[in-house]
Amino acid sequence: MSGNTGSYISSCVFVLIAHIGMLLNVFFNGNYDSLNQVIILSGAVVILDVAYFIAMLFFRQTTFTVDFLLILVLNMSVIFQSCFGEVVFDYKHYITCIISLVTCRCGYLLCRNHKWLREQRKFFYIGIFILMVVILTLTGSRGMWISLGPITIQPSEFIKPLFILACATSITEQQKKHKILCFNVVYENIALFGLTAAICLLQWWCRDLGSLPTFVAIYAAGFLLRICYPKAKFSKKKLVGAGAVLAAVAVAGMKFAPAYVQDRLHVDIWADKDGNGYQQSQALIAIANGGWFGKGPGQGDLHNVFAHKNDIVFASISEEWGLLYALMMVLAILIIIALPLINPPRSYFHGTMSAGISAAFTVQMALNIFGSCNLIPFTGVTIPFISTGGSSLMISGFMAGMLVACQSPTMRSPHLNEQIPKRQLYPRRRKA
Amino acid sequence: MDSTNLILCAVAAACLDICAMVLIISAYHERKTGGKRWNRITSFMELADYNTVYPLGCDEILIGRHASADIRLADLSVSRYHAILTVSDGIWTITDMGSTSGIFVNGIPVSQAQLRENDIIKLGNRQLIFRRRRDINVR
Repeated sequence: MSGNTGSYISSCVFVLIAHIGMLLNVFFNGNYDSLNQVIILSGAVVILDVAYFIAMLFFRQTTFTVDFLLILVLNMSVIFQSCFGEVVFDYKHYITCIISLVTCRCGYLLCRNHKWLREQRKFFYIGIFILMVVILTLTGSRGMWISLGPITIQPSEFIKPLFILACATSITEQQKKHKILCFNVVYENIALFGLTAAICLLQWWCRDLGSLPTFVAIYAAGFLLRICYPKAKFSKKKLVGAGAVLAAVAVAGMKFAPAYVQDRLHVDIWADKDGNGYQQSQALIAIANGGWFGKGPGQGDLHNVFAHKNDIVFASISEEWGLLYALMMVLAILIIIALPLINPPRSYFHGTMSAGISAAFTVQMALNIFGSCNLIPFTGVTIPFISTGGSSLMISGFMAGMLVACQSPTMRSPHLNEQIPKRQLYPRRRKA
Repeated sequence: MDSTNLILCAVAAACLDICAMVLIISAYHERKTGGKRWNRITSFMELADYNTVYPLGCDEILIGRHASADIRLADLSVSRYHAILTVSDGIWTITDMGSTSGIFVNGIPVSQAQLRENDIIKLGNRQLIFRRRRDINVR
């Protein structure tokens, strides 16, 4: 740890207090048969908190706020997931949360040096290409999962961090312009556009339309920062052009969407509450039943509905913990997303990277919450860090690690034992 | 739900709320200390013209005539995006971005150069000195 001891300790204490407050609520209000389950849940949450606080000390970071928010939200999700229907410790979700914290550390270690990352750009494209081939060959045209014995993997989730890294750019790279006819173009931007189109087509082919807006949002964040390059200097022509193309693609997409998507777009959930509108109508009823302060942990009825732990998790939390608490959970995730505004990255590459991550998290959260509230068509997208799902939690953790890396990049002093390198002057190339 | 349970729910929500506020305050505090550490590692350097001082506050600083450049030099001899200053492991480097008039460091034409204290950088007709940060009152 480097500096900030006071804020580190106070953050530890308040994260623990927040979890203890929740556990007290479970103890007094919860629906449980055996007290052992509550004790196991409490012990697991507190142990994971303390272990992560200690583990953080071994990393030389300048900022820890994302880490504290991550452990706060992940342990909140452990408590939520253990309480749906009845208080039973959800060890599977607990293990996935631990894996998510480990991937967060990996994300931080891999992404903190923007100079090194920029040199690895070709590997991001290769990685995405390999994953696309895996999807094409192993998941089939109507599936998005690969079964490996007891576990299932969603390969499209693994494309997300690589795609964010591919979308990130630096000022130097944006200056490498080439003239094609009368246009000054950057080859990298064309390659990225092609990659985005390929990913969108693949998502369409394997009917993973829920993830499609997330990829589009990541690309849109990267695209906006590229056309506003090098700083927020918007080119109106480009913006209007991009908006028109996006609107045309969206209209065409809706017109030629598969039948089941058309149904979801036009479904009246109350008229068809036993069919296509079942999950949304039940979710809305649950939110209304929960009120501001909820029915109490384990006292809800939504656990009988399919996908109550991931696709309509917001409604499940609202029912048992209350709308107020569910909104504050959303606020905690929004703070993670908004932290780059408080502690801005110091390089353009890290800046574009954080914009991509924030866009991905925001869109995923919006799709899930608005979908379960019937404000937009229902999708099977998860809320980052809260919903169950191994692939989703692992990748969300990795992306949180990338956010930490953006705010706490590699900062090393020149080595004192080594001589300061001699000036490297390269004669300027003169044009013939 | 009885009043005790309602109070417990409210307490849990309040704890989460306070925790979020504390973490936001911590983020602001870390921003300050992070900035100080960055300045220490990058040796508190700045670029100075004969009457203007340009603080160097991030890893990549774009110098040019364009309004969106980090350091704007309003001179026709300076290209729109003339050069970029980067810092890595405490070492500052200046790189030409394909400018028309080029870069000169201490009178030598370069396309890329590592900078040292008190180097004179010439971009078009403009001369800048790369120096350690000074107190505002010191001229």
